[in-house]
Amino acid sequence: MFLHYIDLSWRSIKRTPVISFLMVFAIAIGIGLTMTSLSVYHMMSMDPIPHKSGAIFYPQLNIMDDGSEWHSSDNLPYQLTYQDAVNLYNADIPVPKSPSFRSGFSVHLNSPDVKPTMEPARLVNREFFTIFDRPFIYGAPWSLNSQDTHEYVAVISEKINNRLFAGENSVGQHIYLDNNSYRIVGVTANWKHHVKYYDVNNGAFNSSEQLYIPFGIGALEEITTWGNLNGWKHEALKNYQDLMHSEHVWVQFWVQLNSEDEKQQFTNFLMSYMEDQREKGRFNRQTLEYKLRNVTEWLEYNNVVSEDNRILVGLSFMFLLVCVSNILGLLLAKFLKRAPEVGVRRALGASKRHIFAQHIVEVSVIGLAGGLLGIVIAQIGLWGIRVTNSYYDALATMDVSMLLAAPIIALVASFLAGLYPAWLVCRTQPAIYLKSQ
Amino acid sequence: MLDIKPIFNAIRRSKIGAVLLLLQIALTMAIVSNAAFMINDHVSYLREDTGFPEKEIFSLSVMTFGKDRSLSQQAELDETMIRSLPGVIDASLTQAIPLSGGGSSSSVRLKPSPEKSKSISVPYYYMDEHGLNTFGIKLLEGRNFRPEEIIVGNDFTGNGPNTVIVSQALADALFPDGGALGETVYLKNRPLEIIGIVGTMKSPWPNGMRDKTTAIVPFMDVQNYQHILVRTDKTERANIMANIEQNMLDVYDKRVIINVDGLDKTKENYDSTDVLMMRMLIVLVVILLLVTALGIFGLTQFNISKRTKQIGTRRALGARKSAIVRYFLVENTMVCIAGLLIGGIAAVVLGDVMMKSYSISSLEPEFILGTAVFIFVMSIVAVIFPAMRAANISPSIATRSI
Repeated sequence: MFLHYIDLSWRSIKRTPVISFLMVFAIAIGIGLTMTSLSVYHMMSMDPIPHKSGAIFYPQLNIMDDGSEWHSSDNLPYQLTYQDAVNLYNADIPVPKSPSFRSGFSVHLNSPDVKPTMEPARLVNREFFTIFDRPFIYGAPWSLNSQDTHEYVAVISEKINNRLFAGENSVGQHIYLDNNSYRIVGVTANWKHHVKYYDVNNGAFNSSEQLYIPFGIGALEEITTWGNLNGWKHEALKNYQDLMHSEHVWVQFWVQLNSEDEKQQFTNFLMSYMEDQREKGRFNRQTLEYKLRNVTEWLEYNNVVSEDNRILVGLSFMFLLVCVSNILGLLLAKFLKRAPEVGVRRALGASKRHIFAQHIVEVSVIGLAGGLLGIVIAQIGLWGIRVTNSYYDALATMDVSMLLAAPIIALVASFLAGLYPAWLVCRTQPAIYLKSQ
Repeated sequence: MLDIKPIFNAIRRSKIGAVLLLLQIALTMAIVSNAAFMINDHVSYLREDTGFPEKEIFSLSVMTFGKDRSLSQQAELDETMIRSLPGVIDASLTQAIPLSGGGSSSSVRLKPSPEKSKSISVPYYYMDEHGLNTFGIKLLEGRNFRPEEIIVGNDFTGNGPNTVIVSQALADALFPDGGALGETVYLKNRPLEIIGIVGTMKSPWPNGMRDKTTAIVPFMDVQNYQHILVRTDKTERANIMANIEQNMLDVYDKRVIINVDGLDKTKENYDSTDVLMMRMLIVLVVILLLVTALGIFGLTQFNISKRTKQIGTRRALGARKSAIVRYFLVENTMVCIAGLLIGGIAAVVLGDVMMKSYSISSLEPEFILGTAVFIFVMSIVAVIFPAMRAANISPSIATRSI
């Protein structure tokens, strides 16, 4: 029966090619525009690390004295002070945790053959690689011992390894960052992500750093952040020591907490830490405040999905609605013209349900065709975005779920449009049409 | 005269077509007026004057890794070298590149810190006496910095500068009653005398709240990562930009020169998301209007084909062609006006919802009005052709049975 209906719809479509094409086209345009904006939205809001986004947490402390305010929605600073980051890292809780901030160096091999280049770098502790599941091609993260003894070691990315060492195993070789030599201990795979979720303060959709060195080197070499450095009260910062001991925030911090128990333990620690600090004269406030957000909550809190994009998604769905009402009109015209034929079929014994089903199948065929053509239009739209704006390179693409969503949305839209005309036509009274012929 | 009553009755008898048309017009109205408003917002921002001759200026960033030179002495040498290049008008070190999205800001107050006073967030540029000329910005009042007023160091509060040049916008914000020149303001708790006022001088964040209240501070805290701004003859810029890396490395080679970009390019990068959003909105509006016009066209066609016989009868009974055209025009107008009224309300509601959840200013009524007029004209155009064809239906059709 179903195949028969499909055959019938194909005949019907062939009989009125212009009106059928218009309907397919209307759905395709609606789907094309909607999918273009929805795909970008989807990529922006996609969980960047689905298997553990609920277990990686970002602590925030309210370091400000009463009376000061931060420009965040809940009045908490987005980053930590250097001293808090160090203290949190040194806390006696056996979970992977790491401070981190972005900086950069001129990278060279101290030979005239290789021209120095500028590379952004990230200062982290060794647990950073564990927390974010960074795979190593060669070597491993630096050891606890080299970290504690402030050895000058570095992890480089595949990309740098390919450029400087032609992709060979470079573990044990030396690389120059500014004018210090670092021993390479590991080469990580290039980090591909849609959202730079571990550091949104330098632009949430920027590319990742290609170099990692121990956090502790920062103090020795007086490495300053390339990210935001914010203060909330007047402090004279004459040198790096001042900065390290200041109330300025510029360090990010991640901790992996696998169970509720661990989470409880960590929050207890945060509370007691703040109380301890208050006794030492910091945290001069009535109520001590902290927040522990997981990756998903953190991205939400930082408004990673731009509001322009939300607006566009909303507008394009409304646009789809206009297309649906257009198709509804066309379908009405088409189906009602066919009333005499339906009258004959009804007289020959087709039930209302059969007529209804037949027309819904026809509408679905049109919807599906529109959905498929819509994907093509969306691809053109996304290509347009990528060409005009390189920032959206990784975002303006359709993944499998979006490719599947397109025909489904198209089907639902055409279904909505076809419901009323199909219902109207299945109520045709056979008698009227038999009489007139 | 316009036969409104019979037409209205006719509409009531075939409701669904009219309802669909009404719905489409209402939705189109709501979307287009809001989108047009947002497009206008983006366009007027993109057209705003930044104050800088963007095509004459370029910036470069220097990352020094050699430790055998004093950074500030090296900076002096670099500046002198660049200023001596043929085609260069002026050059100056700066800690922030205008229109780039990255820079520093701090609050400027009328009184030192613990005391209560007016406080304004001010993006600032650290530059020397060549700063103004490099920016290509003219003084409105007062004077430029003198060479001896430029302070080199890293202790701003303790041993920093004593003067500042502010934008007119900042002067007005701090001293609404005028007379800013010569007044003392506090930046990072250091008293600075306003010695000059300039016109528009946009900040590193031209699309933000703090886009115009800017200042130039005569302070040089040379870092190993440093920006240099260069103004050249428009025609010479590409040439100078192509050679600047080599010129800089010839002076001293233990450093990396990056981001050699024209200021127009810098602004283009900063604005790229705005431009993208604007383009997508324009595409949406244009296609939406086309689809709606086609929809009106199709529905009128459908109405006419349903009423062929009726039209033939009317013609046979003596109706003029113009009466038939008028009939469809009036019918369309009635539905259209109803749709535009509903759409107008929907537009206001939609604008309101967006204003509440997003940082969008409230929809201005002229956009609703403009969109309504436009959609109305468009609907007339979409109706008139099928209506004229309908008028050509022969009266003889009435005498045939089908």
